[in-house]
Amino acid sequence: MKSLIFAGLCALLALPSSLAATNTQQQLSQLAAAGNGIIKLNTETFDLLTSPKRTWSASIQLTALDSKRRCNPCKEFNPSWDSVAKAWTHVPADKRNEHFFATLDFDDGSAVFQRLGLASAPIVYHYPATEGPRKLVSGNTSPVKYDFAEGFEAGPLAQYLSKYTPVTIPYRDPIDWARWITIAIGSIGSLLFLRFISPIVQNKWTWAAVTVITSLVMTSGYMFTRIRNSPFNGGDGNWIASGYQNQFGQEVQVVAFIYGLLAFAFLMLTMVVPLQSSPSRQRMQVYLWTGVIMIVYSVLVSLFRVKNRGYPFKLFL
Amino acid sequence: MSTAYPIPSDISPVTVKNTASLLRIVALALISGAAIASRLFAVVNFESIIHEFCFRSRATRVLAAKGFYEFWNWFDPTAWYPLGRVVGGTVYPGLMVTSGVIYNILHALNLPVDIRNVCVLLAPGFSALTAWATYMFTKEMKDESAGLLAAAFIGIVPGYISRSVAGSYDNEAIAIFLLMFTFYCWIKALKQGSALFGTVAAVFYFYMVAAWGGYVFITNMIPLHALVLVLMGRYSDRLYVAYSSWYAIGTLSSMQVPFVGFQPVSTSEHMGALGVFGLLQIVAFGQLVRTHVSSQQFQKLLFGSVVATGILGAFAFIFLTYKGMIAPWTGRFYSLWDTGYAKKYIPIIASVSEHQPTAWPSFFMDLQFLIFLFPAGVILCFRELRDEHLFVIIYAVMASYFAGVMVRLMLTLTPVVCVASAIALSTLLDTYIDPTEPPVPEDVDDAASVATNGSSAGPAPKKGKKAANTSAIPGAKGVLGDILSATTPATKGAAAKPKGIFGIDARLVVILNTLMMLFFFVFHCTWVTSNAYSSPSVVLASQNPDGSQHIIDDFREAYYWLRQNTPQDAVVMSWWDYGYQIAGMADRPTLVDNNTWNNTHIATVGKAMSSSEEVAYPILRKHDVDYVLVIFGGLIGYSGDDINKFLWMVRIAQGVWPDEIQEPNYFTPQGEYRIDDRASTAMKESLMYKMSYYRFNELFGGNTGTDRVRQQQVPKVGPTLDYLDEAFTSENWIVRIYQVKKEDSLGRDLKSANHFSQGKKRKRSKPAPRRRAIV
Repeated sequence: MKSLIFAGLCALLALPSSLAATNTQQQLSQLAAAGNGIIKLNTETFDLLTSPKRTWSASIQLTALDSKRRCNPCKEFNPSWDSVAKAWTHVPADKRNEHFFATLDFDDGSAVFQRLGLASAPIVYHYPATEGPRKLVSGNTSPVKYDFAEGFEAGPLAQYLSKYTPVTIPYRDPIDWARWITIAIGSIGSLLFLRFISPIVQNKWTWAAVTVITSLVMTSGYMFTRIRNSPFNGGDGNWIASGYQNQFGQEVQVVAFIYGLLAFAFLMLTMVVPLQSSPSRQRMQVYLWTGVIMIVYSVLVSLFRVKNRGYPFKLFL
Repeated sequence: MSTAYPIPSDISPVTVKNTASLLRIVALALISGAAIASRLFAVVNFESIIHEFCFRSRATRVLAAKGFYEFWNWFDPTAWYPLGRVVGGTVYPGLMVTSGVIYNILHALNLPVDIRNVCVLLAPGFSALTAWATYMFTKEMKDESAGLLAAAFIGIVPGYISRSVAGSYDNEAIAIFLLMFTFYCWIKALKQGSALFGTVAAVFYFYMVAAWGGYVFITNMIPLHALVLVLMGRYSDRLYVAYSSWYAIGTLSSMQVPFVGFQPVSTSEHMGALGVFGLLQIVAFGQLVRTHVSSQQFQKLLFGSVVATGILGAFAFIFLTYKGMIAPWTGRFYSLWDTGYAKKYIPIIASVSEHQPTAWPSFFMDLQFLIFLFPAGVILCFRELRDEHLFVIIYAVMASYFAGVMVRLMLTLTPVVCVASAIALSTLLDTYIDPTEPPVPEDVDDAASVATNGSSAGPAPKKGKKAANTSAIPGAKGVLGDILSATTPATKGAAAKPKGIFGIDARLVVILNTLMMLFFFVFHCTWVTSNAYSSPSVVLASQNPDGSQHIIDDFREAYYWLRQNTPQDAVVMSWWDYGYQIAGMADRPTLVDNNTWNNTHIATVGKAMSSSEEVAYPILRKHDVDYVLVIFGGLIGYSGDDINKFLWMVRIAQGVWPDEIQEPNYFTPQGEYRIDDRASTAMKESLMYKMSYYRFNELFGGNTGTDRVRQQQVPKVGPTLDYLDEAFTSENWIVRIYQVKKEDSLGRDLKSANHFSQGKKRKRSKPAPRRRAIV
């Protein structure tokens, strides 16, 4: 209601632009102070905030928080937005009032969404100042969109917006006490525990297992899935990613298992079978492990043929 | 003692020894021959050209023609125009000096070889040396037979061939030999406590520093090995002598390379080596005092003071880093640990295709069956766990992590995979070829099957397996016991149980299976080498419908066009991937090239490519650009073209000019990367888009054209160019060259001048007042 009155006032008065601008800026700063650093927008106040003659800049979150809109990313992102805006309230007043944080919910201003041609949320726009000393050097006055390449975290958002605000946003990640306490307890616990498990730690076969599992996981493309954020599988039972330079998370498990099984078969043949004292039993084991090697290796090659269509060789499968 | 097959008994041990050593020499010679020959596919299929990094061959030419000092002081004004490049201070000179030395030796022997042929055949020649170095290294780990296997593996394994085919004149060509030989010398020095071998290791380390930036791997591997030995309580005087001689001489000599300079004492990558050096001094001192003092309390005190010194040293290091005396990790190495780092802060590193993470098919393609033998070899190293085995183990863990993070580092993984799997395979073969039959125990439960030993030699594996399935279950307890006894120290196990294989058929099955896998490996390597790794990047090969080879030679066509038709000092702008090629083949100055030392300059090119003509034109003119070269694969489906690299140009430009270039603008509102009608305005306006698709529609004679890489239809109305002229387009449209127009002679901006000459009227908002005055 308050905002409606402001908009009406503005339209009625049609004062000289500079005076109006100063007034509007004051009104906006009052609104911001009232909303804990964030101006809650509707269609009218949106136009007011983004008026073509603005000496201030504004960062606007366009979102749909109502639960009937079922926008989960909006809810995920909103706390980050609030905390960045909250951090901005700690800036001295003269600087603070040159930049505003605002939120426009879809249910308050669907007209704006239509006008901007937006079909998705959340979206963050930064509107640079169009007039006055804070106009960008490049002369750019059109809004800039924040791309969520680094997720919904508050840190990167504050860092990005700081490039446009008069002073850097004094945002600091909240200290994750739970994590630190967990780490502290964990390390103390493991130090105490070390006394009891030291025979295990000092056993070389523990280390051998750790070493081999690490190499197996790494050579099955685990780091690829980590860096590229590949999904675990492709849905509907499809777990092999198409393409030679691509893979799903499940492939890591399958391939590491195949490698491990083959290596294990070789180790059995080398280390365990010669110790067998009964000739017949030994023969059985030799055939068993040789068969395992042949079959699993064939499976591996055919799996590789799926990934690399041009591969000309195949074994028994 | 009974044997499984008859062995001649009337041969003297000396004869056996001599024959074995002769066979080894012959085998090594054959392996070298195979290693060299398999790398010649590229030369046989195409011709003797240097595939990439023409800059290095250009530098080598300077070195061969003008001598070492001239090369050292060479300032190259044509690269990084207008900045130029001080070559002597910004290059690892090892490769050029090596080929220069070979060239001079050959000429001293009156063999008039062209320097280009030295460059082309350098990598295959050094791969033979790598095979030898790997043989020596593996010999220290197990024995000569494992060494021969390892040499054969590394000779033909695709993971190493990928970087060392004939004509790939790259630092890695000699670096892997140096890596393996340095490691061999280190192991030898450690085993013998020899200062001589430590010094040799240091000399080869220096050579490695002069040859490849990957020397940091050695700089950290050897200290890590030493540290683990100390932590395991395996400190010895041998370790002290070996490490100290290697570190002192190696570090001092590595600082003589101008490109490295004072980095070994001022950057974090090298601090580990320094720290371990200090630690070894403290431990050695502690050992010395301990031998002279008997009081237990004093020893405790000593232990405490040693620990305190270590902690103090670590704090001093942290403090110095904090104060900025020691530079933190450089981006390229830091991105190995924090894998998200490069993408965020240094897109130029993340943009290189060889810095991408590795998916599992690449591992299998490059290493084939070695990749699963390698864990078995690591386990066998654990069984014996001598000092040198620890080295292989650490190397295996580190290298498999690094290879997973960057495709390029597959190269450092390959040697250790070859060594470890050679250990595994040769242990297997040792066990199954050994003719000694163990004594048959008395309490044989099923004597019947022993009786049919001879006749059951050739049953199909299927039958054997079925039988094995049934007998494996009652035998499970026995197998578990065997695993336990296999993992307990060998001395006990050997005394308790006889080891060996009964019968000839069990031996034959395993050996034939192994032979089959080896043959398969050879076929695989040949296929991969000839198909995947032997096409030079400047010549593309495709197949005609009848199966014959069709060579696409657009790159050289375009580069020769530049060389023949443009003035000597015409500046060519292109994305940095093609910088060395243009400099080498077209002999024209370039703005940016593959030596990506100046991010801002590259971002400038990125900005010019990704902004509209009006914005780009002043940039081009300010940099005196005469020609712009783009790679376009849309016509024949060459996917490594500039439109696919375009987003990196945008990202890199955005890193420097975040206000003017924004990545999201190049996507459609739905977040798709499109080039058709729905492409975003920024995309359609960008210089890169316009240059790629200029007149593309005309090829299709009125129909809408299709881009075969993106599988999208280009817009009906193609882009127009006002500030550039199409100068040249190669046969398959892969390379397109545009000439930058000079300013209009009448002072109009080029857009309106263009409109004027096309007869289009300029829109006037109001009638010209002057005419009325005249009337």
